[in-house]
Amino acid sequence: MQKLEILTDAARFDVACTSSGVERKGDGKHMGNCAKAGICHSFSSDGRCISLLKILMTNECIFDCKYCLNRKSNDVPRATFTPEEICTLTMEFYRRNYIEGLFLSSGIVQDPTFTMELLYRTIWLLRNHYHFNGYVHVKAIPGADPELVQRMGYLADRMSVNLELPTAEGLRTLAPNKHRKNILTPMRQIQNGIHANKEELILYRKSPHFVSGGQSTQMIIGATPETDYQILNVAESLYQKFELKRVFYSAFVKVNEDKSLPALPGGPPLLREHRLYQADWLLRFYGFRAEELLDERRPYFNVMLDPKEDWAVRHLECFPVEINRSPYGDLLRVPGIGVKSARRILAARRSTKLTFQDLKKLGVVLKRAVYFITCSGRMMYRTKLEEDYIVRNLTDPKDRIRFGSDGMSYRQMTLFDDGMFPNGVRQEEVLPAAVGEL
Amino acid sequence: MKIYHCEDSLEGIFTAIYNTYEDHSPVRDTMVTTIEENLLFSESVEVVPDPEKTIKVIRTLKRRFGESDYETLCLALASPKPEKAQAVYRTIAKGLTEKCAAGHLMDALADTYVNQTFGLARAAGNEYHHLKGFVRFEELENTILYSKIAPKNNILTFLMVHFADRFPMEDFLLFDAGRYLFGVHPAGRPWYTLQGKDAWERVQSKTEKMSTAELHYRELFRSFCHTIAIKERESRELQRNMLPLRFQEYMVEFR
Repeated sequence: MQKLEILTDAARFDVACTSSGVERKGDGKHMGNCAKAGICHSFSSDGRCISLLKILMTNECIFDCKYCLNRKSNDVPRATFTPEEICTLTMEFYRRNYIEGLFLSSGIVQDPTFTMELLYRTIWLLRNHYHFNGYVHVKAIPGADPELVQRMGYLADRMSVNLELPTAEGLRTLAPNKHRKNILTPMRQIQNGIHANKEELILYRKSPHFVSGGQSTQMIIGATPETDYQILNVAESLYQKFELKRVFYSAFVKVNEDKSLPALPGGPPLLREHRLYQADWLLRFYGFRAEELLDERRPYFNVMLDPKEDWAVRHLECFPVEINRSPYGDLLRVPGIGVKSARRILAARRSTKLTFQDLKKLGVVLKRAVYFITCSGRMMYRTKLEEDYIVRNLTDPKDRIRFGSDGMSYRQMTLFDDGMFPNGVRQEEVLPAAVGEL
Repeated sequence: MKIYHCEDSLEGIFTAIYNTYEDHSPVRDTMVTTIEENLLFSESVEVVPDPEKTIKVIRTLKRRFGESDYETLCLALASPKPEKAQAVYRTIAKGLTEKCAAGHLMDALADTYVNQTFGLARAAGNEYHHLKGFVRFEELENTILYSKIAPKNNILTFLMVHFADRFPMEDFLLFDAGRYLFGVHPAGRPWYTLQGKDAWERVQSKTEKMSTAELHYRELFRSFCHTIAIKERESRELQRNMLPLRFQEYMVEFR
């Protein structure tokens, strides 16, 4: 019990806790299956999802990273799980549908290879002895024997190597025992493994899957002085060069007192993290490039506008977009239209001419989209295609065009709407109205 | 106007739809409903659920619209809202008359009925997806896993499919408290459902005693959920948005 508490506490800053990316039906005999979309089983009091049993194998560590709770120089209670303990815990939690699978990471004991071996032994036991068929996410330890990483890949659904900090320089100052090269090597190895496995699977359908859920990584945001532009560029190159499935951003939470760490009087930089995730989505699903969103002259995200709105108001020459004719790529660039609603627009406009009323039904957020779109050549209201005007309307809730209760009117309806009584109230109606008999 | 009145079940509604086609009833002048509707100048027809007709309708739907759209229609019919019957009827009629291709039934979202069906199916689908994660089993004395839920939509059968695939070698029992509906899965065999108060009375007494290990694992999971949270980021509002209170009632970590 105490062990679980210590090792959960030690793992709580790992963010890559999703269970998505793998579709695997049950085999009819053993416990477990996987859902492509991922399943969240609970949400903790900080609103983050709990889908995997996220624990460390051990929180003993020979490294001394400045930002980390488990660093060597910290005096915290230490504990270690045995492989059997982890397996039973996973199985029992899984049976009760508490969790979707296991997320296993570890502090470094003795050396990276030894640690990786411990992890491997645990996962091997879970897969082959306990016949667990659910989701498993394991950290690859940088610097461990490549052979072990390779073998682990055939057991796990997802593997990740933490980039920790966006630049090599940051890594040098805050994590003196870690090296950029060591981190990127296993990442490349896993990428190549996935490629080789894909070809293998084409030839032999039954051959084992290698990291079928892809690999991910995480970066700490706000511990080092990198700009958003730098971070986003790093993320983009990770997606392009290493074909990662996800990059996770983790707002820095100060757990250690150290002179090389920044003071964060306003708490963790949550808004910054949020903007980075928004931009991350734009990179992966909306066809944006990092240098479109930010550049060296404006290296930080706008606090008031989200990255897509920000891009749109700076590129008014691309707007307005005609809903009934524009290609998918252009629709995606409109603030208020997402991947789903853009697809629905494409499907729906095949059979009918869409109006603003229809767009609302399709799930387009009109209060953002209205400045950037036309339906059959007309805008919804007389809005100006002007940067200042749109920014003012997008940011200040009081100045925004108001939507009435029917969702369509320009004016907000009020209780005393005189428009409702075109003829005024007649004398003989006053008394019945007062007693509610009208 | 002809009103087909049927019972509130997949079978009832599909039989009613079959009958409208059998009678060559014009689509615009036909209504399928599960509740009492008294409209002026309307003719009311009672529908008796018929398994054979239901199977025929299912076969046609799967052939014409494909598996995924058929599933969407079923999800829409799992909704508790009374307008579902009419919405699904008109959606199917539209799809059949316009010879809509498989997988494209839900494309015409600008149409009122298609949109309604889509909305109902999405709500039911979302709840189904939520419950896949939020269902909590407890181990009873005789190692049977038992869980009580109270979903708005009638999605127990969907959940049974999911959990039967996940736990093929477990005996488990899923209980929809709002509908007195049980899903029973004996280890290694196909699952079935039971409905009614008498089924509830028989099972109720046996679900009270938990196994000895149960409390231990509950406590472990509670402490896990508590420790995993980052205090500096606490946001109860976000938690409530992601996990509405009506689900929390049945989850061990919130009790």
